[in-house]
Amino acid sequence: MVVPTPIYARCSVPGPKLEVQSGVSPLASLPDLLNRDVWVIVRCFNEATVAGAVIQELTRSFPNVVGVDDGSTDGSSEVIREAGARVVRHAINLGAGAALQTGLQFALLDPAAQYFVCFDADGQHRVSDAIGMVERMRNEDLDILIGSRFLGSAAGMPRTRRSVLRAARVFERLSSGVSLSDAHNGLRVFTRRFASQLSFSMRDMAYASELLRFIRQSGLRYGEHPVTVDYTVYSLAKGQRSVNSINIAMDVWMQRIFGRRPS
Amino acid sequence: MIVIKPLLVVCFVGLLIWAFRNRARVGMRAGIRLVAALLTGFAVAAIVDPGLTQSLANAVGVTRGTDLLLYALVVVFAFTTMAGYFRYRELDNRLAEIARSQAIHEAVRMEGMPGVSPRD
Repeated sequence: MVVPTPIYARCSVPGPKLEVQSGVSPLASLPDLLNRDVWVIVRCFNEATVAGAVIQELTRSFPNVVGVDDGSTDGSSEVIREAGARVVRHAINLGAGAALQTGLQFALLDPAAQYFVCFDADGQHRVSDAIGMVERMRNEDLDILIGSRFLGSAAGMPRTRRSVLRAARVFERLSSGVSLSDAHNGLRVFTRRFASQLSFSMRDMAYASELLRFIRQSGLRYGEHPVTVDYTVYSLAKGQRSVNSINIAMDVWMQRIFGRRPS
Repeated sequence: MIVIKPLLVVCFVGLLIWAFRNRARVGMRAGIRLVAALLTGFAVAAIVDPGLTQSLANAVGVTRGTDLLLYALVVVFAFTTMAGYFRYRELDNRLAEIARSQAIHEAVRMEGMPGVSPRD
C-alpha cells in the first residue's frame, strides 16, 4: 500500500514520521473542516452598533474574517477587532466597491486562501447561508456563487425595493449579458481564481453591475444559491435608496460607452 | 435643411463618443489643444470685427451670427463637461488606490500578514 508522505518528510528536513493507516492523510481534509482556506470580507461604514454581533457569529464558523472599515467615524474598527476579526481601515470613505476590493486584496495575501465570502455587516445575511454556499463551492465546479433572495426568501422586503431590483435585473441582463436573479445581493463567494482577476473601478454600489461584466469576461462558471435576507429596521434605514439606481445605471452606461480605463 | 439637422446631431454625438473613447491618445490631446487655440483665435477676430460671426453664419446656413456662437458654445461646453467627468473619475480611482495600499500596509504592519493569526 502506498502511504502518502507528509509534506515535511518530502522536504529533506528530518522530522517525525507520521503514522497513516488509510490511504488518505487525516490532515488533508482538515483545512476544509475548519474553513481555514476561507476568508470572509465584511465591509463596514459606521456600523459599530451591529457589525460586532455579525462578526462574532461569523468567527464561530470561519477562522479568517476581515472587516474593512471604510473610513467610519463611530469606532467600527475597535468593534471589529474586539469581535475577533482582522481590521483593514481606509483613512477616508471610499465606497462599497472600493472596500470590497481592499478586503479581497488583503485576503489574497494569504496563500492558503481559496474561497472568499462577501458578507454584509448590517445583519441582513445569515451565516448558515454562507456556510452552505462554501460547501457547495467545494463540491461543484463553480468559481462564482451569488446569493439570491428571489430563490430564497426576503422577509419584509418593501414593494418598491422589489420592483427596483426587478428593473435592475433587466438592465443588467441587457448591459452585461449575465443573467442573475439577484445581482445586488451582498452575499457572494468567489474562488481564488476569480477573486484575483477582480479590480473594481466603480467605487460605490455600481460595483455590483461591474461585477457582472467581470463574470462574463472571465468566462468562469457562476451559479446562484437561495439565501434568506432579513430586512430589519436597521438594514432598511442603512440600505441604499431606490433612487440611487438611476445613478448606478448612468455610471454603468458611461463606462460602457466611453471605455473603462482612461489612462 | 430638415435632413441636415439629424445628420449634424448624429455627427456631433458620434464625434463626442469617439473623442472620449480615444482620450488617452497623445494625438487626441494635441488635436483638442489645436481646436482650443483656433477657437481662441476666432474669438479674438470676432471681437475685432463683430460682423465676422454673421458672415460665417450666412455661409453655413444659420440665420443669425449669435445662434452660430450659441451652437459652438454648446459643443464646447459638452466637451468640457465630459472632460471634467473623466478627469474627476481618474483622480478618484488614484485616490482609492493610494488609500487602499495604505490601509493594507497598515493592517499588515500592525498584526502581520493575513493567515498568520496571533492565536496560532
